[in-house]
Amino acid sequence: MISERGILDLPSRNRELGLIALAVLITTAGFAAVQLARAEEFSSSPLVAALLFAFAYFVAHAVVRVVLPDADPYVLPITAVLTAIGLIEIYRISPELARDQGIWMLLGLGLFVAVVIAFRDIRRLEELKYTCGAVAVGLLLLTITLGASVNGARLWIRIGGLQIQPGEFAKILLVIFLAGYLRERREVLAAPTRRVLGVGIPALRHALPLLLLCGISLVLLVAMNDLGSSLLFYVIALAMIYIATGRLLYVGAGLGLFALGALGAVQLTSHVQSRIEGWLDPWAVEQTSGYQIAQSIYTIADGGVLGAGFGRGLILNSAGGTIIPYAQTDFIYSVIANEMGLVGAVAVVLLYLLLAWRGFRIATSADDGFSKLLAAGLATTIAVQVFVIVGGVIRLLPLTGLTLPFVSYGGSSVTANFAIAGLLLCISQRANRERPL
Amino acid sequence: MVDQALLVLRIGVLVLLYLFVWRIARTAIRDVRGAQESMIIRPGQGFDPLPMADERPADPMAEPPAPGRLLVVESDVLPAGAAVLLEEHEVLIGRDPHAAAMLEGDGFVSARHAIVRVRGTATSIVDLGSTNGTYVNGDRIAIETRLSPGDEVAVGSTRMIFEPGG
Repeated sequence: MISERGILDLPSRNRELGLIALAVLITTAGFAAVQLARAEEFSSSPLVAALLFAFAYFVAHAVVRVVLPDADPYVLPITAVLTAIGLIEIYRISPELARDQGIWMLLGLGLFVAVVIAFRDIRRLEELKYTCGAVAVGLLLLTITLGASVNGARLWIRIGGLQIQPGEFAKILLVIFLAGYLRERREVLAAPTRRVLGVGIPALRHALPLLLLCGISLVLLVAMNDLGSSLLFYVIALAMIYIATGRLLYVGAGLGLFALGALGAVQLTSHVQSRIEGWLDPWAVEQTSGYQIAQSIYTIADGGVLGAGFGRGLILNSAGGTIIPYAQTDFIYSVIANEMGLVGAVAVVLLYLLLAWRGFRIATSADDGFSKLLAAGLATTIAVQVFVIVGGVIRLLPLTGLTLPFVSYGGSSVTANFAIAGLLLCISQRANRERPL
Repeated sequence: MVDQALLVLRIGVLVLLYLFVWRIARTAIRDVRGAQESMIIRPGQGFDPLPMADERPADPMAEPPAPGRLLVVESDVLPAGAAVLLEEHEVLIGRDPHAAAMLEGDGFVSARHAIVRVRGTATSIVDLGSTNGTYVNGDRIAIETRLSPGDEVAVGSTRMIFEPGG
């Protein structure tokens, strides 16, 4: 049944528009502050950039208004604020990088619009689950064979002048595959067929493809020497299996295996060992493996409660490089903590909390298993990624290189995250729509 | 001059940021106070794939089966003995004037309170995030719940017994 509501009479879309307007204000003020601190005089260039940002988001909003009138009103504005904070701090580090990031944001919103239009009926995606799984594995294999090694991690492939990080897209495809596969098999996975030591074990042939896929992904990632993604893939798979079956056995077994794997990795690879050293006592190895993390801690501490202010923090060294290596990608959170202080850094974590909450809320209100698993899987992806990288730069966890979703500099990361936002909106449209009576 | 302007912009951004967080967080707070649902799906609790848009056409020669119904046993707003026929695939319960089970006047019923879904011989009920909840055999339901013959469904002051069709 087609609703007779007008295109302007949509409460949740109007709420979305109001929040996007607020995000545009934040963007304008932030750009103006950085530009002012840089040039010591007012200029119109930050205004032009903010206008472009506003235009792109209003176009995305208009598409959602037409295609997904009942979708969640909070996801898109939250991505706008996060992207804005990222752009502001990247602009602060380097105007050239900010220009690139702006282009990627536009591409990301383009992908968002494409996803929203292509999968407005999210069930279409369920039919593509095996294709998604195959493409995910293919992308990872491609990275291993053609990949260029940057800082010991083989994550990138070069096409022309572009560097692409296929892992960012493989992650989403894997979540789609797992959602489709687990929806189909969860009955047999949850039902034990025999008991071992008093614990019910499901038939191996049902669990085998799943174990195989997790195994392949992990092997691929170990081969790429990328701890962060490896950890992320593993936790996502574990969380989704738990959501599909409601059995703690899988979580217990998974965490046990993880502990074994982690111990093995520490014993066998120097890469992991140096990360652990830098985590436990960065000052003992400050000039070597602890350098990045030590600089990060200094930078965060320097920010204090209210921050040094936009453009006023000690971010760049005299040569024009950043004091923390890779400040614009893995360590963008330290830069935010420096310039916006504890108050701003907490706000960023709150934004991710709200985003993850919307994702899980969409999962609880969805009315079919695939949508539930997909929404929960995507929300878990963002939540775990933020936890691992923020935990890494504040030295709560050993450092693993992951991007901060929507904020970190990087084309693959930004565009992939906008695809996640698009999928969440499509799922919420189905759950919130006016049900035919 | 530049320093004052920077200070204003810096405080302004932080204030706007928290305003933004607050405007979304207050809905989260309302949400947490409401019914807790679980997103963990255990087998046997519905969530089977939904039929795609066009379902198989029914055999035109076959006798249409009698619809199931919800028989009112006690209610402040409906007479006892009234029956809600489950003729559609989705039957809305609530104060909404379009609801099949229209419970207007019951302050403990939400406008769109719950939906009874009929799929072939399986009938289930799902709460639509109502304030006061939907009860099956005395238990508040958190997720879509399969109805068996003789199950008691309670919404606000209305108690109904499920009788399957066939």
